[in-house]
Amino acid sequence: MKTWKILLAAALGAAFAANASAQQTTLRIFTGGQQRPDVMRKIADEYQKRNPNVKVEVEVGGATSEAQQQYLSTVMSSKDSVLDLVLIDVIRPAQWAAQGWAEPLDSYLGADKAKMLPAYLKAYADANQVGGKLVALPYFADSQFLYYRKDLLEKYKRPVPKTWDEMMETAKIIMDGEKSPQLQGFTTAGAPIEGTVCTYLVPLWGAGSELTKGGKLNLDTPQAKQPFQLYGRMKQAGVLPKNIAEIATDRIRIDMQAGNLIFGMSWGYVWNRLENDADSKVKGKIGVAQLPHDQGGKSATCIGGWQVAVSAFSKHKQEAVKFARYLSSAEVSKMQAIMASHLPVFPSVYKDPEVLKANPWFALALPVVETAKARPVSPQYPRVSDIIRGNMNAYLAGTKTTDVALSDMKSRLAPLFR
Amino acid sequence: MINDAPVSRHRDLSERTLGVLLLLPAALLLLGIVVYPIATLLWNSLHTVDQANPQAGESWAGFANYTRAFADDRFWHASWNTVLYIVVTVPGALLLGLGLALLANQPFRVKWPVRLGLLLPWALPLVFAGLIFRWFFEYNTGVVNDWLVALGFEPMQWLSSPTLAFIAIAIAIIWKASSFMALMLLAGLQTIPKSLYEAAEVDGASKWQQFREITLPMLRPAIFVALIFRTITAVQTFDIPYAMTGGGPGDSTETLAMYIHKTTLDFLDFGYGSALATLMFIISMAATSGYLRYTRRSASRSGED
Repeated sequence: MKTWKILLAAALGAAFAANASAQQTTLRIFTGGQQRPDVMRKIADEYQKRNPNVKVEVEVGGATSEAQQQYLSTVMSSKDSVLDLVLIDVIRPAQWAAQGWAEPLDSYLGADKAKMLPAYLKAYADANQVGGKLVALPYFADSQFLYYRKDLLEKYKRPVPKTWDEMMETAKIIMDGEKSPQLQGFTTAGAPIEGTVCTYLVPLWGAGSELTKGGKLNLDTPQAKQPFQLYGRMKQAGVLPKNIAEIATDRIRIDMQAGNLIFGMSWGYVWNRLENDADSKVKGKIGVAQLPHDQGGKSATCIGGWQVAVSAFSKHKQEAVKFARYLSSAEVSKMQAIMASHLPVFPSVYKDPEVLKANPWFALALPVVETAKARPVSPQYPRVSDIIRGNMNAYLAGTKTTDVALSDMKSRLAPLFR
Repeated sequence: MINDAPVSRHRDLSERTLGVLLLLPAALLLLGIVVYPIATLLWNSLHTVDQANPQAGESWAGFANYTRAFADDRFWHASWNTVLYIVVTVPGALLLGLGLALLANQPFRVKWPVRLGLLLPWALPLVFAGLIFRWFFEYNTGVVNDWLVALGFEPMQWLSSPTLAFIAIAIAIIWKASSFMALMLLAGLQTIPKSLYEAAEVDGASKWQQFREITLPMLRPAIFVALIFRTITAVQTFDIPYAMTGGGPGDSTETLAMYIHKTTLDFLDFGYGSALATLMFIISMAATSGYLRYTRRSASRSGED
């Protein structure tokens, strides 16, 4: 009799458990290894606490944007429903929209959309809308900054440079004064990687021009040569390192951290490494400023950062959108800023005292992020990127002249912007 | 005796059915993982399948993808690079591999350190080898430039000059590929009977004569097999240049396999990528059929002797 009762209780218990798990939704979100999956896990734990019927799994993939996209291309083009949400690079929304991989969010948000979007940094509200449709929601912001050696600029009584020419001059004066063969003037990405697209675009924008105008290629301007000529002058002056065509993103941080670099153009993650890494030789000696521009031009920087997209093949879209909205909230922006030093996507969060206490430099970062511009928006972006970075890299390596690099760039880009 | 025939036929039939049944799983597996992807590849190569431009739909393209390849500078450039890698790294790896195999075939008292040394480069994943060599050849931190400076030379831009980058990549490939060559040649060397050398010794042949008259002819089958394997992998050269230069500077060290990878996985142009892959397969077949014809001819000639 007793055994019978226990069995019955066990069976009932199992039935309840099965029932509960039937109501529970499991959401799987993909994030790159560099986007702090550990912080994503903490945010997901908080969400699970508030929504006991949702379980979030965090899938971690490739370190670079390209490596992630190669994996995601396989998953998404086979219409696999395994992923419900995906963190995508800011350069991808147009491609994801064209391929129909991202579920348009407009109908899920309804009237909230008009209320939500103006609160974001404008560049992010724009970057996530393609053809009037909301493709993804911003998760965290990023942009390129000019990192500089405060101590060396003070020592030589030089102001923070506003123009490229001032920067070159200052770098030259400091290099001549320090006489250290290790000390380099300025570096930015030069290897054939995504960041090298910005190496071309930032001086182009700083000269007051654009790559495209009204959807058409706009490289017949005198300014289109400016980036090549600028780096050519820097190379000649010895301000740019000889091996600039080998420099990939993290090399800039490593050289800066070792005290071997005066000016560096790189992304937001660099600051914390310079200030917090045990082996950093430049703690407290680093300043952050807007990127230089041409005489008469305006500072601009490449927009970076990561967006949350809901997979069009997800089986739990309703729940996924709800989680995406949470990830893109001011509350999570603040959590990320404090835990991971991720730049917030809301201007208001930059001024939050707790955020500023954790990241005093965010006060300097906001005016830079506000000058951020989008790389050309195209569903063919991977091709666009390959053409720009390939020619920039060949020019920096010295295998193409300004004219050849520019005309190759024009002839290959033209069919993509018709 | 009279009843025997139908019984045996019955047994034959059931045995054949059983045989077919037993082969079926393997055949299905082959169909799924070999025939189906190849058929899809050929189908894609004859269609417009551009996922970056899905509005265009998947339409019959005839040979448009192939004619596009023939008009594509980058395809010819990548093919030319691939041919250069074949021409340089196949003989390079053969010579180094032969040297290593002869060394490993010496009567060492303890054989395993030599054998292990031969196996290690082969066991290392290609992309790791590429990364290690990239660090060797880096401008500021690489050991190669460190040596150059120590010897009083200027440091060289190994990875950002097209010629130097090709040399650096070829060195990495030869190092990586020679151990597999050596393993195959070592196996060949061990099948050569010792008595041949003893007889040659008695006849007063020098070491060099022994090598030319005994070792090389006896090793020929092993050399051919090794060459075919190396050539096929050389046609597919991808990992090492991908890790060392990413095809740079510009696209000057890009191989055909890298261009296919980029077209398909980055640009999502599956139609064009499939056509390029088919062309690479044709190059690979052409290269290896040359060897096969040569081995067949030499085999029939030795039969006549």
